[in-house]
Amino acid sequence: MEPILDKGQKRRDHLNEVYVEVDSADFRDVCHGLFIKQHALLRLMFATDEREKDGLFRIYVVFTVPGSDAFTIIVLPMKEDVPSFPSLTPMIPAAHWYEREICDLFGLVPEGHPDPRRLVFHEAFPANAHPLRKDWSISDAEKQEWGEGRAVKVPHPFLEVTGEGIVQIPVGPVHAGIIEPGHFRFSAIGETIFFLEPRLFYTHKGTEKQFEKLGFADGVKLAERVSGTSSFAHGAAYCMAVERMMGMEITEKAAAVRTLVLELERLYNHIGDMGNMCAGTALAVGYAKGAVIKERLMQLNVRLTGSRYLRGVNVVGGVTRDVYAQADDILKTLDWATKEYKDFMQLLTGSVSHMERITNTGRLSRDIARKLGVTGVAARASGLPDDIRKSHPHLLYDRLIFEAHTYEQGDVFARTMIRAEETECSISMIMALMESGYKGELAVPLKTAAPYASALGYAETPRGSLFYWVMADRDGRPLRVKLRSPSYCNWPAVPFAVHGNIVPDFPLCNKSFNLSYSGTDM
Amino acid sequence: MLKEIFKNVFTKKKAIPFPEGFDVDPDQAVKVIDFQRKIDTIFHRSLRIRFVDAGSCNACEWEGTALMNPIYDIQRFGIDFVASPRHADLLLVSGPVTRQMELALRRTYAAMPEPKLVVACGDCAMNGGIYQGNYAVTDGVGNVIPVDGHIPGCPPTPTAILLGLSTIIDKFTK
Repeated sequence: MEPILDKGQKRRDHLNEVYVEVDSADFRDVCHGLFIKQHALLRLMFATDEREKDGLFRIYVVFTVPGSDAFTIIVLPMKEDVPSFPSLTPMIPAAHWYEREICDLFGLVPEGHPDPRRLVFHEAFPANAHPLRKDWSISDAEKQEWGEGRAVKVPHPFLEVTGEGIVQIPVGPVHAGIIEPGHFRFSAIGETIFFLEPRLFYTHKGTEKQFEKLGFADGVKLAERVSGTSSFAHGAAYCMAVERMMGMEITEKAAAVRTLVLELERLYNHIGDMGNMCAGTALAVGYAKGAVIKERLMQLNVRLTGSRYLRGVNVVGGVTRDVYAQADDILKTLDWATKEYKDFMQLLTGSVSHMERITNTGRLSRDIARKLGVTGVAARASGLPDDIRKSHPHLLYDRLIFEAHTYEQGDVFARTMIRAEETECSISMIMALMESGYKGELAVPLKTAAPYASALGYAETPRGSLFYWVMADRDGRPLRVKLRSPSYCNWPAVPFAVHGNIVPDFPLCNKSFNLSYSGTDM
Repeated sequence: MLKEIFKNVFTKKKAIPFPEGFDVDPDQAVKVIDFQRKIDTIFHRSLRIRFVDAGSCNACEWEGTALMNPIYDIQRFGIDFVASPRHADLLLVSGPVTRQMELALRRTYAAMPEPKLVVACGDCAMNGGIYQGNYAVTDGVGNVIPVDGHIPGCPPTPTAILLGLSTIIDKFTK
């Protein structure tokens, strides 16, 4: 990949991260070159406010080239008086949301972005509110004036589809089921969805700002509360980022515990998700069966870690519990779960109404998936072998033998089957992890962060790749914590997948992606 | 925090009077100890709950969903989750109530028929939890709508939710 990067002025290597600082004239060319010629994937894009260091804002764009473990990070410095940067979205659609988010949170404007509307904030937030700028603050009185239901401060219209026979169906943010809030605006012709615009960020909690308030060691508690069902993966990715930044090396034992629990998390999620899809096809027996297996696995989680969501295990520097001490319990429960899972799969694949409903529903083409940077189950179901465990081996994943399962169809069926295959894969991985003993302390002592040190952390959640990027300030406190959950990349793909399907199939399509709102909205 | 809970429990209680339409004497209800029988008497065997996520991490919702699986099977107590606030007796709210969900929560509350109960589910619904003091949250359900009780936990387990509901109904009938 060297030729593409010869325009880079400054290059800095840190572990498997290659930082290349470019100026604004080269920014587009370098990124486009990586995306088009090297088929690089845009993994995440974010801004930082480093004005206390050298008076500059910086944009970071993280690319990975398939087949390489290295992360190529293009850095664009920006002066405070010219708060704009060339938009990448026209060539790299995956940058679409990131750029709008940067505009909302930092007030840095992407020049030439095709959709300059707000993303994170709805209409009631003042135009000059950029919470992630270091000099931004809000008084208590102003805080009262902030929020939904107050005066419209910046108009935030929906994209309108007009024409004969087109009806608008607004849904949400409070939904009929027990799910998270989000607004969906369907433009339908009869029953067929012509266009869907999701409006999310109802659960925007200012998580990234909150990370800056907490120290690095306490941040793991917040990371575990970003997205409920991926709590452990969030904790693990956050800890990995902080450990890499501080130059800490976790023990083999800690790595083994993290790998095992990551797979346990994947297991209960995948089985639960397959059960939930049955709720979308009105297969009540399948739903109940999936829920029972999931519940038993979550009860195992309590016995192992004290939390049904595997919280409190990760700490910066290692883990707090040795789950291998309860190996018998794990094996016994897995034995039972494997048996039940086989019955469950037989029930699903043997149910004509279920299979008929999920086949050919909610198709996402490989091309769109690649352009939007879709990740995880959704990407693999559309033929993209995107698995961060395989492409960037970490923890003990390089010792385990497994495949990144792919399907070509990109429909709900493919996403179900990917989950089924990964469930089996996870079970065998857990068994393999239990076979050998691991040495070392549970956790190593915490170090301090060097001024302005930074690092990436990543994990494969049940939904897809998850990234954390952390940077310390002069005193070793968090200057910036960026998190990118898999749902953030997959949400923009949902409108493409449901196009041409009927409105009653939307819940099914949505469940097959199983996206986290809280993880997206941050 | 404690002060706030007491304030909510004691002062706001008047805003939600005892359900007259359910023709049960408060004294009579106090004697009912069994959860099942309590629901039978007070709500005529049906307590309908509307669950609203006001910015939680989704763990509380999954615990709510778990209540309906064959292991906990909340329906056997006559309790069920309903799709519309207009059918609900009790509003179960999770999350620190983000500023962008505040209006939706107020509207959901307004859409419920009297008498109504509000229960905050989880630590962040209580006082903002780990998100306390952030620009984007209102630090708990109590700051937005009157709350009758809190179920602590992050997230509260399905059993804790069930027990919490029982205790709150107990208090409500006294």
